[in-house]
Amino acid sequence: MAKAITGKRKVPKMHKQHKVAGLVGAYILLVIISIIWLFPFVGIVLQSFRSYLTEDGGMVSYLVPKAFSWDNYAFLFSEGSGFTRWYINTVIIAFFVAILQTLMVLSVSYALSRMRFKGRRLLMNLWLILGMFPGFLTMICLYFLLKNFGLTQEGAIPGLILIGFASSGMGYYVCKGYFDTIPKSLDEAARIDGASRARIFFNITIPLSKPIIIYTALTAFMAPWCDYVFASYVAFGKTSSYNVAVGLYQWVNNQDYQGYFTRFCAGGVMVAIPITILFMLLQRYYVEGVTGGAVKG
Amino acid sequence: MKKRVIATMAAATMVAALFAGCTGTSSSSSAASSAAASSAAASSATDSSAADSSAADSSESEDLGSGEITIWVAEAVVDTTKKLADDFIKSDDKYSGYTVTIEAVGEGDAATNMITDVEGGADIFGFAQDQLARLVAAGAVNPVVGDYYSFVESSNDAGSVAATKVGDTAYAFPMTSDNGYFLYYDKSVITDVSTLDAVVKQCEDAGKSLYFQINSGWYNTAFFFGAGCTVTYETDEDGNFTGCTCDYDSENGVEALEAMIKLASSSAFVNGSSASDAVDYAAIVDGTWDKTTVKDYFGDNYACAKLPTFTCGDEQVQLSGFGGFKLLGVKPQTDAGKLKVCLDLAKWLTNADSQLARYEAVGWGPSNLEAQASEAVQEDEALAALGAQLAYTIPQGQYPNDYWSIAEALGNDVIAGTINADSDLMAALEDVVAKFKALAK
Amino acid sequence: MGETVGKTDPMVKKKSNDMKQSKNIFVKAGRAIASFFKWIGNDIKEIGVTFKEGDWKTRISFLIMGFGSVMRGAVLKGIALFILEAAFIAYMVLFGVGYLKKLPTLGTVETHFNDLGVRVYGDNSFLILLYGLLTIIFIIIFIFSWRVNVRVNRNEEIILKNGKKLPSNAKTFKSLFDENFDKTLLALPVLGVSLFTMLPIIFMICVAFTNYDYTHQSPTKLFTWVGFDNFVNMFSTATDGYGSTFMGVLGWTLIWAFFATFLNYFLGMAVALLINKKGVKFKKLWRTILVLTIAIPQFVSLLYVSKMFAVDGIINKFLLAHGWIDKAIPFWTNGTYARILIIIINLWIGIPYLMLIATGLLMNIPEDLYESARIDGANKFQMFMKITLPYMLFVTGPYLLTQFTGNLNNFNVIYLLTGGGPTSTTLTGGAGKTDLLVTWLYKMTVDKTDYKTAAVIGIMVFLVTAIISLVVYNIIPSVKDEEGFQ
Repeated sequence: MAKAITGKRKVPKMHKQHKVAGLVGAYILLVIISIIWLFPFVGIVLQSFRSYLTEDGGMVSYLVPKAFSWDNYAFLFSEGSGFTRWYINTVIIAFFVAILQTLMVLSVSYALSRMRFKGRRLLMNLWLILGMFPGFLTMICLYFLLKNFGLTQEGAIPGLILIGFASSGMGYYVCKGYFDTIPKSLDEAARIDGASRARIFFNITIPLSKPIIIYTALTAFMAPWCDYVFASYVAFGKTSSYNVAVGLYQWVNNQDYQGYFTRFCAGGVMVAIPITILFMLLQRYYVEGVTGGAVKG
Repeated sequence: MKKRVIATMAAATMVAALFAGCTGTSSSSSAASSAAASSAAASSATDSSAADSSAADSSESEDLGSGEITIWVAEAVVDTTKKLADDFIKSDDKYSGYTVTIEAVGEGDAATNMITDVEGGADIFGFAQDQLARLVAAGAVNPVVGDYYSFVESSNDAGSVAATKVGDTAYAFPMTSDNGYFLYYDKSVITDVSTLDAVVKQCEDAGKSLYFQINSGWYNTAFFFGAGCTVTYETDEDGNFTGCTCDYDSENGVEALEAMIKLASSSAFVNGSSASDAVDYAAIVDGTWDKTTVKDYFGDNYACAKLPTFTCGDEQVQLSGFGGFKLLGVKPQTDAGKLKVCLDLAKWLTNADSQLARYEAVGWGPSNLEAQASEAVQEDEALAALGAQLAYTIPQGQYPNDYWSIAEALGNDVIAGTINADSDLMAALEDVVAKFKALAK
Repeated sequence: MGETVGKTDPMVKKKSNDMKQSKNIFVKAGRAIASFFKWIGNDIKEIGVTFKEGDWKTRISFLIMGFGSVMRGAVLKGIALFILEAAFIAYMVLFGVGYLKKLPTLGTVETHFNDLGVRVYGDNSFLILLYGLLTIIFIIIFIFSWRVNVRVNRNEEIILKNGKKLPSNAKTFKSLFDENFDKTLLALPVLGVSLFTMLPIIFMICVAFTNYDYTHQSPTKLFTWVGFDNFVNMFSTATDGYGSTFMGVLGWTLIWAFFATFLNYFLGMAVALLINKKGVKFKKLWRTILVLTIAIPQFVSLLYVSKMFAVDGIINKFLLAHGWIDKAIPFWTNGTYARILIIIINLWIGIPYLMLIATGLLMNIPEDLYESARIDGANKFQMFMKITLPYMLFVTGPYLLTQFTGNLNNFNVIYLLTGGGPTSTTLTGGAGKTDLLVTWLYKMTVDKTDYKTAAVIGIMVFLVTAIISLVVYNIIPSVKDEEGFQ
């Protein structure tokens, strides 16, 4: 400690100018980085205010619209655009996936972190191997599996919820890593007092795991908003079963929709706002989860 | 005529059965027996189609049951189709048991989705003609025979009728005859549309863009066919590709490719054909479906014309291209009543009135001869330009799915400069032709 | 052993070590197989002993599962076992046997038109394969539970023989929330993974050995087994083979994963250091700005970015308008440009994550270390190289591995930015210059409905991932010991 103090004293005053220059440099860099990072978002927001009725709904060569208008947003919430329906669908999917996936992940993590049973290693290795296959490989198979249960097209919403959480137990790594850091002595003390495993799980482990539960639920909630690939595969031919990603994506990707680009941007903004707010509110837990995950692998 | 079609159908099934007999593990006897069964089916199909025609006369006695019919059409015509389908259900009591649902599914997606899951797909669906062989191969379209075929043949232009056929059997109802492209331009910028060089020059001078999607197997045939090359495929009755004729690897092909390279090197050139995504353009090679978008963009300066000529070797040659069609297909049904309703509905949706209704709503150029003769269609500028261009185009036949990817790749190489003026163009084309030919087995 | 090695020169020593290692693998595998057979042998012996020494209740249980348990009062366990058997037999009689029988041919009855011109669906190869596999899995589960049933009887007999009492039904039930809580917790997740991940993967592996594609699309057409044809085609260099394309796509996949992982890693750390620099204010603001890319759905942001860089996009228009270029830069249409740009745009996605992680970890490095280094006269760069980097690499080693394998399959960035394009005549099968194996797989599945080839690509992705993971696992010691983290 003493060394540290002397060390600090040793910093000569003539370096101050150098330090200020360094800081200015850092600020300039940060501002440039911020501009680069924000530019696309500003672009999207600006496009969303370009009227598709009076100006041009397609691509243009300028960034700032000639006149600001709410036409695109009005279109989104008008009857027949389908957007409200897709939005509600996505909220439903995201809500249920978030809850069910969190339950699955917590169950698996607790069992693997706290209990030692026959076949535990086998299970972990098997799941590790399964995880090495690309997810898109099995799309056609999952489609027909769901179809057997009537969970495609009209039933695509429950189908997507099912697919969203059914295999989520495999993603236990971050959560188990977190459980591993909760001292085992707590469990042992409770067991001596006669508490069952289930009691320990609900009364000790879960209350101590708020950050990881929020992290798991948050990532699970955000995923369905971006799910274009599988959602479009399962819901094809049934517009009312689309989620926002599928619905909006067709506006820019399908030749039949001419001049929908600004409306796509408006839809994008509508999707981004709640997610961003939610994310910002829970950012602290997210950081904890991501950092923990990185350390635990 | 009817008999002949049915006989070829029977032959097709026999071929299919034999084919399966070779590849599968089933013994030859089972193949033979299934062939026998299918010829029996064919002979009774003759009867049933005869019954159809008589049934049309006395419709009340018929019970077609009830059910739900799903139709997939492009987003633009959903409303029109809805109205037409409602009229159809009201047109006759025997259809009253059926309800019709219309979904917006793009013509490109429709075919892919039908193939992915035939059972889950629509009962009636619109698609671009280039998908037909694929759909037939996947068993996703019902043959159009008997009276239905007579209707198709008698009321539509010859090109569109040919487009519904794989082998000798028709599999769809023609919906439009406008799947071709021509030149839209801004007449305040471009005054001379006779040659491609002139168009490019005027765009360059004005600092505007010329959109031409040369990375598409559909658009870049404008150059190759213009130069006198051909690429065609033969199919068997089952939709499998059996042969390929292509002479891109010739002097003419090289000259066509040179013209593409020259176009791609212009600063005015942009690869693309979607008017609503196009920016700052003075000319675009596009089809009737983008008419409204282009009209809005050019305003009073809106003009269209057949494609210009291009410099091929040292002479000027007219740009050619594909003339294509949009079709309406019916999915094979497991219920005879529903099949009949679906076929009747498809027929209804492609008759003269329906085609005119679509023309009025979204400007789709009819394939129906009566609709084509109507005044509004005759006076349409875009359709006139398309008509002028059609004289130089080649009716589009059937192409394997991979044909489009290979042709796209060729165009991408030109745009990226991987294939440029200094490359060995003959070698590049020989490679492409080899790939085209490898698609037919 | 050590002596003999010691006498040889280093090169030979290394070689012999390698050999020893590879030999070890074989020895290990051999031992594993041997112990497996030994285990089977013991198990069969035990079953025999159970039958020989067991009473009539046990013996009947060999046929009617759970019979013994019910008779001995362990009703809950007994009924569960019996229901399992009944359900299994019902399934086998109703569906299983039929599907199993058709599995070798995958169906022979073709879909055809009947007399009325109406379609009659024949065998569905897809369902035959799927349910055939499911039946096999059920049989394995049944054998396993039958074995459990035998063991349960044996245990119960031993307990009773020793004059003890069997656990009451209530206790058995309660144990599901105590010492058997793992079974309760894992039941649903294991079922979910088995049904929706494992079964489909096994199914697709089988598809790689069939001719399932758009010309053999069930239910309208049959498909059948073709052996290794699809694998041969994947590596064939003939005109219609995918050999050169596969190598090209694989090469780019590895290059991409390397840059996407390590560039993000180092630049992310740099940004974190920048924000955490002493004296920089509004740290939270800078972080929040960066983190926006995580919060906003990629299908919105990346699609817009992709349009920005188009030939007629605003970046090119801006540059043209200012006269900085006189012809639009072909960002997406030129293969090399597209690859570079994709890696750069991926930084935009990746840096924020690394910034978050690095910020968290950098705070954990004891300040003392830097102080003493400063006293020793180390400059900033030296401190970074000697303290920060080693610490970060040590802590995030396993994370880098998962990032790398994750990037091998990084679908979204590629798909949303270029869709794999631009395609080129040097590649076949619709693959483009920026296609990863996984986006190519997607194209094969969705655009081309060529499932057999997609399945082969999927297996290749697995092999690549598995090999890389195995190699790295053996390099990083900390990953191996799972308990070490606790």
